[in-house]
Amino acid sequence: MSPASIRLILWVLVTAFMLAVPWLVPALLNAFWVSVIAEILIWSLFAASVNLLYGYTGLLSFGQALYFGFGMYGVAIGIQDLHLSFWPALGLGIVAAMAMALVTGILAVRLTWHYFAIITVVFSLIFYFLALSNKWLTGGDDGINFSLPPTFRIGGFTRSLTDATFQYEFILATVALCFWLMWRLIESPLGKALVAIRDNDVRASLIGLNVYLLRLIAFVLAGFLAGVSGALFAFFGRYASASYMFYHVSGEAVVWTIVGGAGTLLGPVVGTTLFIIVRELVSTHWEHHSLIVGAVAIVVVIFAPKGVVGLWNDWMAPSAAGLGRPAGAAALRTEP
Amino acid sequence: MDKVFLLATNGLIWGLIIALIALGLAVIFGLLDIINLAHGDFFMVGTVLAWATMQTTGSFWLAFIVAPLIGFLLGALIQRVIIQPIHNVAALSIVATFGLSLILQESVRITYGPTPGRILAPISGTIHMFGVDYEIYRLFAAAVAILALGGFFVFLNHTKLGTWMRAVRHDRDTAIAMGIPAGRIYVLTFGIGFALAALGGVVAAPITTVDFRGGVDILPFCFMAVIIGGLGNLPGTAAAAVLLAFLEGIIQSVADPTVARIASLLLMSAVLLLRPQGLFQGLTR
Repeated sequence: MSPASIRLILWVLVTAFMLAVPWLVPALLNAFWVSVIAEILIWSLFAASVNLLYGYTGLLSFGQALYFGFGMYGVAIGIQDLHLSFWPALGLGIVAAMAMALVTGILAVRLTWHYFAIITVVFSLIFYFLALSNKWLTGGDDGINFSLPPTFRIGGFTRSLTDATFQYEFILATVALCFWLMWRLIESPLGKALVAIRDNDVRASLIGLNVYLLRLIAFVLAGFLAGVSGALFAFFGRYASASYMFYHVSGEAVVWTIVGGAGTLLGPVVGTTLFIIVRELVSTHWEHHSLIVGAVAIVVVIFAPKGVVGLWNDWMAPSAAGLGRPAGAAALRTEP
Repeated sequence: MDKVFLLATNGLIWGLIIALIALGLAVIFGLLDIINLAHGDFFMVGTVLAWATMQTTGSFWLAFIVAPLIGFLLGALIQRVIIQPIHNVAALSIVATFGLSLILQESVRITYGPTPGRILAPISGTIHMFGVDYEIYRLFAAAVAILALGGFFVFLNHTKLGTWMRAVRHDRDTAIAMGIPAGRIYVLTFGIGFALAALGGVVAAPITTVDFRGGVDILPFCFMAVIIGGLGNLPGTAAAAVLLAFLEGIIQSVADPTVARIASLLLMSAVLLLRPQGLFQGLTR
């Protein structure tokens, strides 16, 4: 079978499975796994924001949790304090995350490589501590709980995320839309320009690309992805908390992205799925599942430095360098 | 005024301990280009080793030798097994050391247990100075930290191995051409980095708690010291650690610790944006 047809079959199978989850999974396993899959979708989107910056633009951000947190708090504060309905609250979360990404990005993208990684984590820590100390607004570590407003209310027809099936469908649709947008972005001239900067920023500036502005655009778009995932997670948990802005959350997304395959569209999804499923499978049987998570991370970077998807692409196209995207982000920019 | 003095002195001494740990981070970072996310856990392992030494031998003093030694061996082993196969690629090192961090924390949780514990200082009692009663152990801790810092710089600048370490960092290929075993120097460096953090853990153990999550808060602080001091500038790193902790101590005397932490983070942003080469670059030449 040719690589193209293997890919096609996989796509069809995965799509069919994802659509059938609300019915198939409770029948085969139990309803709990539907929410695990919904959570995987949300965190995959979060990892995608790391991937857009690192895998496609060559900027390793260690502070994406900041924008995740802003998306989350935008929704929670919007509903709880400002009494917004569903869609305005979602919009508030996304706008808050993008605005924050713009403000911090103006400063952060002046730096690259180690310095960029550090300044992003510093910015996220500043707001983490601010969120911890301003309990009146954020609830600190305890967070804010809120009750969900209905998503649609047209006449007598109401739909709300309290319905588990609708919640799953809503998350799947939103995440799929974001990944479609990201795919369009990568295929667009803008995406090619970002990859050019990733591969060699000096050369990119010599052919007339405005490296600073393009990096800033990528940073704000990554803030959008992180903001959407944070907003979704707030709706999913009916909850927002400062603890999701800690650097560990950002770090996990970096690990998921690199293990899955940075610089590939679906790498973050694969990495996130791998880690969350291992966590869910093992944690019910064995308290010390972190040992396995740690070991998996180490084994993958030693034996598959391009990530799982990078390895897969190499298998599928061993000779043709033109097929598949160069997943060489891992080997990239080894010096400042 | 007493409170300012107390917190400033506490900050200063804590800064000296952090300087030890941050120096370990800077050595690993500078020579191997490894962003070591497990470094806070190296410190934590040091505190646990201090506790374990006390449990098995009944003597805290032995820990000052045992913990750095075990730390060195663990560090050398980790370099060989985990770090060496990823060829010093910084991005992969982040993932690998993140995994290592999880493994270290979980191993300690299994063996030591999940509840934080305390170690009694081996020197009890206080000394009256500048109007406050100050714990003698803290002064002792400061002395140990200063001795270790001094010892490290003597080792780095005045011994053959130290010179080799600097040579490999400066120009790996030339160093190899001159016959320096770069591979072994990497192992040595990682071992020394772990040993410094473990020693910091022993010194700090009676001051702080012994907890499997004890490294999580230390890590950002060490990175701050490394950046503010300037990447690769080892004396700068040590100075920055002391300066930062001292400033946080002073701010804590008028505001709560979170404000102090935010202030040092803001300072760090300013340094990164205005002087990314570090605060002390140009002064140490």
